[in-house]
Amino acid sequence: MSYEQEKKEALERGDISERIDMNLLRYMWESSPFYLKESYHSFFRSLNVLQSLSDNDIRLFVKFLHRREFESGEVIFKAGESGYGLYFIQSGSVKIQTPEGQEIVNLEKGKYFGELALLEEGHHRVATAIATDSTVLLGIFKPDLDKMIESYPVLGAKFLKETAMMLASKIGGLQKEFLELKKQLKALEKKS
Amino acid sequence: MKKNQRVKFYFFFLALISGLVFLITFPRLTLPLGFSYILYLMIHPLASKLLRGNNQQRIVYSLFLTACACCLVIPLMATLFSAETDFRQLINHFPEIQLNLQFKYLQFREFVADKTGLKMSLDPVTYLMRKIETQGSTLLTNIPKFLSSVLEWMLLVPLFLYFFFKESKNLKIKLMEFIPNPIFEKTYVLASQFNTKFGEYIIAKFIEATILGTLVTVGLMIIGFPYPFILGIIAGVTNILPYVGPIIGVIPALAIALLSSNTNVSFLGAGMVYLIANAVDMLLVFPLLVSKIVNLHPILVIVSVLAGGQVGGVVGMIVVIPVVAFVQILIKEIYRDLNIQ
Repeated sequence: MSYEQEKKEALERGDISERIDMNLLRYMWESSPFYLKESYHSFFRSLNVLQSLSDNDIRLFVKFLHRREFESGEVIFKAGESGYGLYFIQSGSVKIQTPEGQEIVNLEKGKYFGELALLEEGHHRVATAIATDSTVLLGIFKPDLDKMIESYPVLGAKFLKETAMMLASKIGGLQKEFLELKKQLKALEKKS
Repeated sequence: MKKNQRVKFYFFFLALISGLVFLITFPRLTLPLGFSYILYLMIHPLASKLLRGNNQQRIVYSLFLTACACCLVIPLMATLFSAETDFRQLINHFPEIQLNLQFKYLQFREFVADKTGLKMSLDPVTYLMRKIETQGSTLLTNIPKFLSSVLEWMLLVPLFLYFFFKESKNLKIKLMEFIPNPIFEKTYVLASQFNTKFGEYIIAKFIEATILGTLVTVGLMIIGFPYPFILGIIAGVTNILPYVGPIIGVIPALAIALLSSNTNVSFLGAGMVYLIANAVDMLLVFPLLVSKIVNLHPILVIVSVLAGGQVGGVVGMIVVIPVVAFVQILIKEIYRDLNIQ
């Protein structure tokens, strides 16, 4: 049960004590700018994913993240390598390209990539990711996901749902692209 | 790879090798550190469960653990007291066992002389007894050294354990910052896998040894065999070693059965108890607890145990299995990556 749900239920039952709530104080302190040197909270709130996570969930979620710094031109991962995690771009930009070097997309701050590697066993990266600027990434990997599910099952379930939604949105995009390409192919066939 | 990336890479490997050399050079520090780490891996899952949830859940879980500990304290203390009594009795019976051994050897020597005409001049029993006496006196002279190392461990182990509980998270974060970007993902995931497997393996072996020791003790008590507690503890401890452990564990009981003048002592009965206990272990406990954690070929296990024993004694024999399992995973991963590239 999340902290908010717990408090809501206690309020409904009229079971709120007059004692100082140490958990609340801790939460407020840990959410404050004095505690968070770099505001992960505002970063995750600015994304269009992970919206179902409450403030407290985000506070817990960031404990599982790894901050990695990349220089411009540094390879993040290569196509064909074993992949284990998902990255959020906190600052900078990342170029995703085919193994032949053809650029697929350039991702900016607030975007994410590699979600398939987090879920698939024995996953191999299908494309190469290169930092095109001085870049800071926040990565979450399989062991972190396992620990999250074990330690905070509600948060784990919410995050898995969010990851599934990220994948669904990408698959939806791919489907549209596929249909468009099919249409264009048919048109070309008719022409020829 | 750019220059500063290359520097980071070399620095990481240099630090790694220096750390390993330091650990190998100072076993007096490495052994209590390793033991504390194993204890940490065993206690950590319980502690993290204890710290999870709200206050009510924590209180219920603490009460449950306290109740379990109380339930275990009485049989554990009884076992320790009984084992101590068994040990004293065994020491008292030692001269009798020595005489029986000499008598049986003489009978065997006569038998060999009758059948083959060969006279066995060297008396291995006297040699063995002298050896035991020399070892005993060496042990006695080493007692102060042993006690000082026990005191050292009593001081170091809680200190390291406290350090692991308090600082492991921060230390992990700091160490991970050193890992160069190109190998970060793989190193992190493999290290996490090793940590989990190692902890699970140690806990599983501990439970397996306790079950086997209990089965042997109860079985020996039922058939009225002497020294059931001490033999149960020996069977449990030796069982930690795969394959060779159960064979080593049965030797003391069979030796007592062969050399004791007590008519109640049955060689066959003791053999049956060990057979049943090991069958339960092999058919039930091992497949449920251990085999899912490490899946190694039996030959590889035996070779690893022998090599581990050569390098690190009994601790090496125990620790080598999860280490070999990890190396196997590592080699497979590297091979798979090379194949794909």
